[in-house]
Amino acid sequence: MRLEKCYFCSSTIYPGHGVQFVRNDCKIFRFCRSKCHKAFKKKRNPRKARWTKAFRKAAGKELTVDPAFEFEKRRNEPVKYDRQLWQNTLQAMKRIEEIKVKRQNQFIKNRLRKGKELRNEADLKEVEKNIHLIRAPAAQARQLERRLVEVIEEKDEELMED
Amino acid sequence: MGRYARKKQHKGDKPLKEKYRLKRKTKDLDQIQEDMSPTKSQRLLNQEVDLDKPGAAQHYCLHCAKYFISTAALKEHFRGKPHKRRMKALETEAYTQDEAERAAGMGSYRAPQHRGKVETQSVKEDMDTEIDDTDKKQCG
Repeated sequence: MRLEKCYFCSSTIYPGHGVQFVRNDCKIFRFCRSKCHKAFKKKRNPRKARWTKAFRKAAGKELTVDPAFEFEKRRNEPVKYDRQLWQNTLQAMKRIEEIKVKRQNQFIKNRLRKGKELRNEADLKEVEKNIHLIRAPAAQARQLERRLVEVIEEKDEELMED
Repeated sequence: MGRYARKKQHKGDKPLKEKYRLKRKTKDLDQIQEDMSPTKSQRLLNQEVDLDKPGAAQHYCLHCAKYFISTAALKEHFRGKPHKRRMKALETEAYTQDEAERAAGMGSYRAPQHRGKVETQSVKEDMDTEIDDTDKKQCG
């Protein structure tokens, strides 16, 4: 069983899925679904369609260079069945996948950290710039007190006159 | 007569036909970049007279893979936006299945290389004169 990759979006194509196009120079283009096939027929550039893997990698959204990517490869060499090898491979696949996912997630986290820093910086700057718009709560309380005192004094004066 | 409708023989064929129609398929960018090699471009720019092609295949735009009917039309095409856009697109390496696989995690991803600036081909001014320095447009 061979799992191919879609020409356009790089997703895995399982047997019995998708279509393939053979150009008149014998190059084979496999597509996972009609969405990708149509995009190809419209001569869209996968590097520019934001939803493709190629875009995400080319634009630096995802981890691109890592030794963990060197395992899954097309090796056109038949391997004789060996139970031990098979078991080890299965075990290794799980472990490698685990590590790969961890690294990819860490990469995205690191990438987003930059934005967080910038946002904090911008917030600080805004507060610094517009600090004169807000008064300290203590100052506000004092002002309110003074106003109340004035009102009471006025009332007292009115009573005295009567 | 005329009361009976003609019996349709291939009723559901149209979508299938349209799906596999390749009559209007034009060359892809990777094919054009292959064409830009000196030997191939030489052959494409100096084609035999072919009366089935527009302008008898004498006015060919290498980068847009298109035949024009006259030198004037070809020159007008060079001034246009589609041609300029195409020149820009040809500057970077064409997308391949290999890149798709690398993007999918089969090997590390390599960013597409810049191939250098692409120059528009020089135009044969007169039909009678032979021009020797036609490989000027090739670059990178």
